Amino acid sequence: MTAPTSVERRSAGSSRRPTAARLRSLPAAPVSLAAGAVVWEAVGRTADASAVPPLSTVLDRLVAATRQGTIVSSLADSLVNLALGFVISLAAGLLVGTAMGRWRRVDAALGVYVHALLAAPSLVFAPVFFSLLGAGRASIVAVVVTYAVFVVVVNTAAGVRSVPPHLVEMARSYGASEWRVLVRVALPAAAPLIMAGVRLGVGRAVTGMVNGEMFISVVGLGRLVTEAGGRFDSAGVLAVLLVVIAVALAAIALVQAVDRRVTRWVPRTWKEEG
Amino acid sequence: MITIQGLSKSFTTRSGERVDALRDVSLDVRENEFLTVLGPSGCGKTTLLRAIAGLVPWDDGDIAVDGAPVRGPGPDRSMVFQNFALLPWATVLDNVAFGLRMRGVGRAERVERARSFIATVGLEGCEAKLPGELSGGMQQRVGIARALAVRPRVLLMDEPFGAVDEQTRRLLQEELLALWEEHRMTVVFITHSMEEAVLLGDRVALMSARPGRIAEIVPVRLPRPRSRDAGGVARSGEYAEITAYLWERLRDMHAEHRPDRAHRPDKVAS
Amino acid sequence: MFRNASTRPNTTTPRSATTPRRAPTHRKERRSGHGTQAGPRPARPAGPLRRFLDMNLPYQLLTFAVFATGWELYARARGGLLLPGFTETVRATAGLLGEAELWRALYVSNQALVLGFALAVVVGVPLGIALGRFPLLERYADVHLNILLVTPMAALIPLLVMSVGVGTASRVVLVALFAVVMVIVNSRAGVRQVDPALIEMARSFGAGERTVWARILLPAALPAVMTGVRLGLGRAVTGMVLVELLMVSDGLGGLILTYRGLLKAPQLYGTIAVILAEALLLGAVAHWAERRLTRWTRPNTSRTRPARSQR
Repeated sequence: MTAPTSVERRSAGSSRRPTAARLRSLPAAPVSLAAGAVVWEAVGRTADASAVPPLSTVLDRLVAATRQGTIVSSLADSLVNLALGFVISLAAGLLVGTAMGRWRRVDAALGVYVHALLAAPSLVFAPVFFSLLGAGRASIVAVVVTYAVFVVVVNTAAGVRSVPPHLVEMARSYGASEWRVLVRVALPAAAPLIMAGVRLGVGRAVTGMVNGEMFISVVGLGRLVTEAGGRFDSAGVLAVLLVVIAVALAAIALVQAVDRRVTRWVPRTWKEEG
Repeated sequence: MITIQGLSKSFTTRSGERVDALRDVSLDVRENEFLTVLGPSGCGKTTLLRAIAGLVPWDDGDIAVDGAPVRGPGPDRSMVFQNFALLPWATVLDNVAFGLRMRGVGRAERVERARSFIATVGLEGCEAKLPGELSGGMQQRVGIARALAVRPRVLLMDEPFGAVDEQTRRLLQEELLALWEEHRMTVVFITHSMEEAVLLGDRVALMSARPGRIAEIVPVRLPRPRSRDAGGVARSGEYAEITAYLWERLRDMHAEHRPDRAHRPDKVAS
Repeated sequence: MFRNASTRPNTTTPRSATTPRRAPTHRKERRSGHGTQAGPRPARPAGPLRRFLDMNLPYQLLTFAVFATGWELYARARGGLLLPGFTETVRATAGLLGEAELWRALYVSNQALVLGFALAVVVGVPLGIALGRFPLLERYADVHLNILLVTPMAALIPLLVMSVGVGTASRVVLVALFAVVMVIVNSRAGVRQVDPALIEMARSFGAGERTVWARILLPAALPAVMTGVRLGLGRAVTGMVLVELLMVSDGLGGLILTYRGLLKAPQLYGTIAVILAEALLLGAVAHWAERRLTRWTRPNTSRTRPARSQR
């Protein structure tokens, strides 16, 4: 993953110690996760604080909640919220971002606001949606969109804007129309940046989903978190959190799989910049 | 074939300075002529080529190809770019077929013609490769094949071998010469290399910078086919003479822009 | 960043789809004229109208005007108790600024913000630098960091409330949690990106480990560290508002909930406006500070940098 820099070569000297060498040869992620689990279990058992239950208790609770069906139905609700919000974000983000990248005046009109909204704490808009759309799914989806859409817009605009000018000129020299330049040159060339934005967007969408559901506590995993928190049921909170993390990782993995297909042509050196 | 009359173009730099990229450029390119345009960097030679290609507007003057005024890119002209301008996500085949696709050529014919021009530039077997998997010289062969595939009457080449190493550059020059001997067409070839200008061109249009204008048109009366081999024109005294003459003229132009050295041009190196 | 009017006098055709705003550096001559139509066009200096149309501000104001008008009209047509008009909201916001209640909320919120953010920087920067410098450590920490990056921290709020209560402490910890991951990840990237040739150069002049750190690693990593600090500040503000909105009804978030409970919609919207203003102000200050401290890195800073390195 990292290029062999002198930084690495330096510490390679220290791998003469056998433990370090052994650590280096292990698959890091599973080992590290297992170690984390052991530490969690140990801390939970010894600390005996109600806020940090041991991992085994959390997993028990997860299994129990799954049997009862609460997790599954809430997960389904959440996934619907996530999918609706993400699809809307994707469509709107690509459209607005392309327009901003393509027309200076659209960029001038919207640029500042998009950047401001990207940096703003998105959940403050939840009360607004609440009053506009009522306490229901529509408000939660709106929160998801607020979380996810702006990063897609910004990256799409940047991607379309940074299309190599010589490629555009080449296409025009063969008489390509504006539309063909957009479809055949600009969007493919912008794909790596657009996909980076989509990847960030999907992560933000999951966050928006949980936060929206926690605030507008009517459906989904977020509501389970709020309810468990209200009962001081820390194992319940963590059980739901594990599910949420799984959803986030799965969503990102999905986007990355698409990304790899779309940007297979990108030389490795480009990708490492990201 | 190509008639350029009184072409002028200026632009304003970011600092607000007005620069004449081209001033009153007049030039005739003959049918099936290989014209090389030589000049110091920033003299507007690329602007001139892009104007002929119909890619940029200009302030004053006219450009006509076969009597038809240039109003935009057209099927009679195609361009080879200095940095190749290949679509990095498209295969060699799709890149070569790009111009045909833009011109609305059907799929079957597109593939067939692209394949034949890929063969012409000696890249058989590379059809499915991506540009990133090719060397610079091979990439420019793809660029040339793409330009030829639309069967243009005029080939516009913008320092096409400027981005490859010296050996590759010499190979490409010889290949281009062979290609041109076989399929004669009108070529306008921009370069900053005197040797390249003389080796390839029937005439060398020498440009001066700021304002960009044609300083002189130097005929190259060397026999064709030309080559660098023993006995080839590149070894002849006349070749050396023209090259040396072009260098003198270019050096004088540089001196004009270096007032500190203007009075002792013998000290000016490269 | 934007082409000024005078470079393309009298172009009647719209800008080409994808020409970049910045002139590519490898070209000596700037492009001008982007219509597909070539051919002669009379040279004419840019008129005042043209220059006006090429500025950003008119469009920004236009957007704002459209937004405000749309809001006002919608509120008048459909408005109810929970949907005040734009003018009403502006008046309420101005009124809020004179209320002690708002300033107290601002003080309470920002107390947690300052403490939590400071904690995140103090912990995050050294940790990130260590991870960047010691790859073995990083190899094992990577998976946890990646999980933390996607974890909705808000879900931890109930646990915090359970362990440290509904006080300043839980808010401070949450703000720190929000900010710290961004700081760590960017600091790590900063150290990792240091050109190894620079370190070798320093070594070739006989620099020891300490000198390498002081003269090469830290200065070279500074830009990325500062980016992390800036992004972290944004996340800290988010965390501050979130915890107050979701669990600990205090500060600005608490004010929103109070006004919502009292059905004081204009004040509710006004509070949101104040929060947005603070977020933008802090963001601008952080951006300014970042650029001041790392001026050498970016000769041409573009306003819309893609969010690629933020992960």
